[in-house]
Amino acid sequence: MAILETQSLTKAFGALTAVNSVSLAVEAGTLHSIIGPNGAGKTTLFNLLTGTFPPSSGRILYDGRDITGTPASRVAHLGLARSYQRTSVFPAFSLYDNVWTAAFATGANWGGLLWRPAGRYPEVDERARQALADVGLSARSGQPAREISHGEQRQLELAIALAAAPRVLLLDEPAAGLSPEETRSMVALVRALKGRYTIVLIEHKMDIIMSVSDRISVMHFGSLIAEGTPAEIQGNPEVRRAYLGGMAA
Amino acid sequence: MKRPIVLLLAAVVLLPLLVRPAIATEIWIFAIFGLGLNLLLGYTGMLSFGQSTFFGSAAYVSGWLLKHYAINVFLALGIGVGVGAASAALVGYLCVQRSGLYFIMLTFALNQLFYFTAYQWTSVTGGEDGMPGIPRPALAGIDFTDPLVYYCFVAALFLVALWIMRRIVESPLGRILQAIRENAVRAEAVGYDVPRFKLLAFVIGGAFSGLAGVLYAMLFGIVPLEAIGFVFSGNVLFATLIGGSGSLYGPVIGSFVFIWLSESVSTLWARWPLLLGVAFVIVVLFLRGGVVEAWSRFWTWRSSKPKA
Repeated sequence: MAILETQSLTKAFGALTAVNSVSLAVEAGTLHSIIGPNGAGKTTLFNLLTGTFPPSSGRILYDGRDITGTPASRVAHLGLARSYQRTSVFPAFSLYDNVWTAAFATGANWGGLLWRPAGRYPEVDERARQALADVGLSARSGQPAREISHGEQRQLELAIALAAAPRVLLLDEPAAGLSPEETRSMVALVRALKGRYTIVLIEHKMDIIMSVSDRISVMHFGSLIAEGTPAEIQGNPEVRRAYLGGMAA
Repeated sequence: MKRPIVLLLAAVVLLPLLVRPAIATEIWIFAIFGLGLNLLLGYTGMLSFGQSTFFGSAAYVSGWLLKHYAINVFLALGIGVGVGAASAALVGYLCVQRSGLYFIMLTFALNQLFYFTAYQWTSVTGGEDGMPGIPRPALAGIDFTDPLVYYCFVAALFLVALWIMRRIVESPLGRILQAIRENAVRAEAVGYDVPRFKLLAFVIGGAFSGLAGVLYAMLFGIVPLEAIGFVFSGNVLFATLIGGSGSLYGPVIGSFVFIWLSESVSTLWARWPLLLGVAFVIVVLFLRGGVVEAWSRFWTWRSSKPKA
């Protein structure tokens, strides 16, 4: 069953239609990748799915419910968590406080919001620690986020999404700007998360996409031009044209 | 140094021995005012240029009730806190819709609105002359008209206010507000309704301002028109920045420096605001964390020096 579905989703910024009538279904438990040349509208699609801004038209269904137009702060509570292409963390916070903040947001109880010391929420603490452990940053939990390396910040970016204990993870180029070595460990990480979460992945690096995806959707100038298994996509002439043409232009 | 609370208690005890009780009292009142602003400025990253709105509104309302109905002191304080919070809810609701420069200008503009209302409504506020004749009714046999007794009362309330603010900044709310300061977009994305949390910060800050406003009115027996004016908003902003925004004790130290300068040095040298200007420039250019940062830097420097 599709856990996340879009129906003719469209977003126009003035004359530019960034996302054009995209209908997409993400099956629960799968890793569904979205690829496409720069400017194809992938990140805009993520912004629509997570409620950063409302679509111009079309619908978004999550778990069978219409969530079109739900604001970002509410979407997080439904079980959709995203990571950003450009690292977006809380710089002055320790790594622990970064994930704690995300874990508390979707925590079971906000009792004592104004009064109880932040350290006295065992369930939130547990989830925060687990999220750091999942990405391999436990040893650095006390360090401020602005002091860690770019590669580690990408891991933290992912940990913040995980800390929300989501059902669906939307990962926007988790390997952006990583060295080949770091990319390998990020791929291993994403692979380890596969199965635990439904994952929607935006990525540019073809080798990553082909090795981890269950299904791939290809976007080009805001529209979906193909969808299928990695093998089908590799053999699709239109996809080749979009990629090669896009790069030659 | 390690135990700021010890220093603070010492200051509470020693202050009335060093300066006139009225000035000592004003320092703690201004500190309460600063605590409220700091939740907005230092913790949430909202530069409010209209804090005197809440301070002044509470002072006028409770002052009027004290003057005409001689209500219980605690009732007057409670009403002041309520008026401060309610006016902050109103102003905050309009301001949190915007950010950056527009936000600052809105807080300022709405403050002007309140100011001119007080200015024009002379039958109640006394306009330019202020609202004089505010009593300090005795409570359970305690005579608050004795300056030292009133000092103790204010100092005790300050310590309670500080303790409450400490609980708030160490609670999840404190962390969420700081998360908003650090990265509002991400805070929204992980599931916090940012405008609503900003509004909550406003209301809490307004409640503190309201408490300070009523104490101020009772201290001087008058609500001067300036209590709701923009200079007053600027003063608390100055004091908080100089003391160190974003740390719990920053506004307390700032209030100490600011009131002490304005009350003591102003009698010696009429151009004293120049000093304040210099201090402000130094803070903005070199010490974003204010006196609190200077203090901690000094200790790091001292402990890093090899022992002779």
